[in-house]
Formats: sequence, structure tokens, C-alpha cells
Amino acid sequence: MHELHWGLPVILYLFLGGLGAGAGAVSASVLLRSGGGDRPGSGFDIARWGALIAPFPVIVGTGMIVFELGSFQAGNWFRFVNLFKVINLSPMSIGTWLLSLFILVSLAYAYTFFMKDPRPGDARHSLRKMLAWAMVPLGVGVALYTGILLGALPARPFWNSPILALLFLVSALSTGVAAILLARAIFREATHHQEVARSTYLMTSSDLLLIAFEIAVVFLFIMYAHLTIGNTEAAVAVILGGRLTSLFWLGFVALGLAIPAAIELKYVIPTLLYQKQYVMPRSIEIAVCTLVLIGGFMLRYIVVVAGQITGPVGI
Amino acid sequence: MNQDKGVSRRSALKQLGTGAAAAAAVAASPAAALGATPAKRYAMVIDTRKCVGCHACSVSCKTENDVPLGETRSWVEYIEKGDFPEVRRSFLPRLCNQCEKPQCVSVCPTGATYKRKEDGIVVIDSNVCIGCKYCVQACPYGMRFINPTTGAADKCDFCLHRVENGLVPACVNTCQGKARIFGDLNDPDSVVSKAVRANALTVLRPEMGTGPMVFYIDADHTDARDAARLGTYVRIETNRRQQERV
Ligand code: SF4
Ligand code: SF4
Repeated sequence: MHELHWGLPVILYLFLGGLGAGAGAVSASVLLRSGGGDRPGSGFDIARWGALIAPFPVIVGTGMIVFELGSFQAGNWFRFVNLFKVINLSPMSIGTWLLSLFILVSLAYAYTFFMKDPRPGDARHSLRKMLAWAMVPLGVGVALYTGILLGALPARPFWNSPILALLFLVSALSTGVAAILLARAIFREATHHQEVARSTYLMTSSDLLLIAFEIAVVFLFIMYAHLTIGNTEAAVAVILGGRLTSLFWLGFVALGLAIPAAIELKYVIPTLLYQKQYVMPRSIEIAVCTLVLIGGFMLRYIVVVAGQITGPVGI
Repeated sequence: MNQDKGVSRRSALKQLGTGAAAAAAVAASPAAALGATPAKRYAMVIDTRKCVGCHACSVSCKTENDVPLGETRSWVEYIEKGDFPEVRRSFLPRLCNQCEKPQCVSVCPTGATYKRKEDGIVVIDSNVCIGCKYCVQACPYGMRFINPTTGAADKCDFCLHRVENGLVPACVNTCQGKARIFGDLNDPDSVVSKAVRANALTVLRPEMGTGPMVFYIDADHTDARDAARLGTYVRIETNRRQQERV
């Protein structure tokens, strides 16, 4: 038996924080890519959904880690303020500042869309564009540091890999895209006009690329761990025949990566190769996005648990 | 006790502040500066040949430091090895290694965990610690736990409150077989310096690069995974909180 020092609240934080940061970074880059959303065929709608989503999972996730703090459980509710009294090189210290900045900026960014009829070139246009420039690095930073936080521990060989941060970043962007598409699929009017189909196509194919990249990163992660000897190899054995094997391969790789990628491929290919009109039924869109989100959660769950049940905790 | 730590921490910080100017001088002539103010370097040598696994140290540690039930700052592991009739049981007393390069210190986001300049003891200021458990994950020796009453990280501190008053740690004081030797490594005449010179020593997990200040004589470092690889029978009993020793 091993105790899990970091349990569900931390796992949920890593997932929600990644999702929000990913949605924020994607939204801002889509907005900037289309020149502030004022070019024809722009992804303004995508940017709006991303902006409205971004702050909330991050805030909820941050609330969850506060619950995990020992001082909170012991009744010293406000001791976490100590995090803000010091800046040092601990990844958690840097992350705290990044996270706080991200929450503030993403709230302001969401505010610029929070008006009667937001459109490119409206009253908050220039403010929106300015905030978007900050959102990209902040979102990437928040998504990256969670992986660095775990990766920085030589005592935990499953985590102690620079690839982990990259894996978390790609997964965060992919879940961010999924969250945007999911929200839009659920809330948009049924009418399928050209504009929506075009931007959905772009998003879906980017998600497909992200998943492909994620598969490559997962492959590198496992391969390098497995080909070393000693602690790291023993740690990664937990997903290569050990206790978390089926959860990893079925829950994360199959359910969260392979199946959604295959479905997306089926709908993207005709447009990509034969310039056909892009159509993905709303139900399929919802299913694919949900799978990607489940996969993102599974990844955090498996990594956080695997790191703690393996590795030199003893002698 | 915790307040004591708070005070000594503050004075240490003050010293750091006022000593900034002196730092240049120290860098220029380290030997002279050290001679003027000899910083202590506390260490412990554990002679496992003399340990009988009686747990007097574990018990005295619990009483001395008010360690809550279910947690331990110091304990003794039993390693049973081999097939009958060639069986050996040895004992491995465990405590925080007061590392030279403590990973618990480098990850602590609040500065609650720090290594004392004056004697090298790694301590936790429980009024600053937020209980984020990052250090618990970072320690390669699994020495840390969250104290349920303070909500702060906790571990052995060489009985700082005793050592500051010229006493030895409680475990050293209680040890029946005199298996624990404690003292200042900077003092060549201390018992611990003599023990370090006279014996072949090992430390736990040297590959982690933490530079432990707890040294062992004739210790069996087998862990369960090595044993599985070698195909020998090994049973390890540990009193640590519900953890396997892998
Ligand atoms: S043994 Fe662990 S808790 Fe003690 S100083 Fe070293 S890293 Fe820190
Ligand atoms: S639990 Fe306390 S001592 Fe440990 S890293 Fe967090 S704040 Fe620092």
C-alpha cells in the first residue's frame, strides 16, 4: 500500500487548469491569427467561446488545490497567502504567480466578450487584442508549469522527465480545443452555415494534429523511460504490465487519443483531400469532444497516481 | 518548540541581511572567515553492528517530539534475507538525512523548509508551511509527513531544541547499544569525526546526489526491487506509515 499524498483535488486541478489554460491560449491565438477577428471567415466565434470558458475551470481547479493543503485541513485557512510572500525558484512558486496572472488576465479577456453583441471592431476591440497577446504566453505557461512541477522531482522517476511538461502542454491545448468545440456544439443554433462549418473544420483538424503530436510525445515518454535501466524503467513498468496498464492503454490511449483521432480523421479527410463540404453531425462532435476531455483527465489521473505508487519512497 | 524555530529563523535571516557586506570577505578568504566563526556541521553515524532493533530510539523520538499517532520521524527497519539455514536479519534505523543538497528545500515554494546556515540542520517553520506536500514528494527517502495537528510538513530535525542547548538528540541518548554517534563534523576531535575517520561508511541512495549527513556502518541497503531481481528471499519490515519500501 502506498499513500497518495496528492489525491483527486490535485488531479482535477491539473486537468481543469490545463483545460482552461489551453482554451485561453487557443482562443487568443485564433483571435490574433485572424487580425483581431476582423477578417472575413474569421474565428471570432471560436475566440469568444474560448475566452468565455478559460477562466472558470482554472478558478475551480485552483479552489480544489487549496482544499488539498494540509494547513487548510488543519484549520489554518489563510496560510496559503504565504505563497505570495515569497518568490523563489520552486516550480510551485513560479506557477503560483503565473496562475494568478492568468486568472486576472483571462477574466479581463472574457470581459471584453461579455457584452450585448460582441463583434470584430466593437468598442472593446483594441483592449481585447491587447489582452490576447498576454493570454497566449500565460496560457502556455500555466499548461507547461504543471508538467515541470511534477518533472522536477528526481525522487519520483515516473515524473522525472522533461517530456512530461510537453505532454501536459499538448494535452492542455487539445482539451482546450475540445472544450471550445463542445460548448459551441451544445449551445449554437442548429443552422449549419458555411462560416461555422469552416471554423469547425479548422479547429477539428488542429485538434487532430494535436492528438497526433500527443501520441508521438507519449511514445517518446514511454520509450525513453523503458530503455533506461534502474528506477525509471521500474517506474514506467506500472503502465507496461503493472497496475495501471489497462487504465493507461484503454482509458487514455484508446479512449482519449486513438478513437477520437480516428473519428476526426474520417470527417476531415474528405475536406482535406477532395475539398468536399465539411459536415460533422452535432452528436458525433459532442461525442468526440467528450472523449478528448475524458482522455485529458485520464492522463492526469494516471500520471499523478503512477508517480506516487512507484519510485524510491523507501530506503 | 515551533515558536523557537520561528525565532531562530528570524535571527538567521537578520544575520543574512547584515552579513551581506561580510560575504565578499568570506569569499576572498574562506578559511580565515570560517576560523573566526566556525559554522557547525552536525552529522550522525549509525553503527548497525550494534543495533539490536529494540526501537528505543523510535519511542523516545515520539515522546520527545510529540509525534502524532500513525506518523514517525524515526524508525527501525528489519531486513530479513536469504534461505534457511543461511539467513540474516539486520536492522536499519531511519531518520531524515539532513542532506547537504536537500531536495525538500529546493522545491519548497514558501521558504518554510530551509537548511540552517549555522549547523546544517534542515528545519521546517510550521508557521510558514502551507502543507502543499511538494517536499513530501521530493524527498527521496520518504522522510516527511504532514502533521495533522499543525497542517505543516514535519520530520526529524536532529532534536534541534536539545542540540541548541548542548544535548544530543533523544534517539542518541536512548540508544541501548550506543549504535548512534552524533556530533559536529567541523570539530576534528568530536566522536562523530573520529567515527567517520575510523570506519568505512555508506549513505542511503547516494545516486540521488543529496549528500546525506547520516552515515551507516555495515548497513544492508537491499531494497525489495533489488531482491526481486536477484531472486533471493528478502522480507523487509518497516514501521513507517502504511508504505511499502520499494
Ligand atoms: S532526507 Fe529528505 S527531508 Fe531530510 S533533508 Fe534530505 S531531502 Fe530533506
Ligand atoms: S509542505 Fe510546507 S515545507 Fe513542504 S514544500 Fe510545501 S510549504 Fe514547503
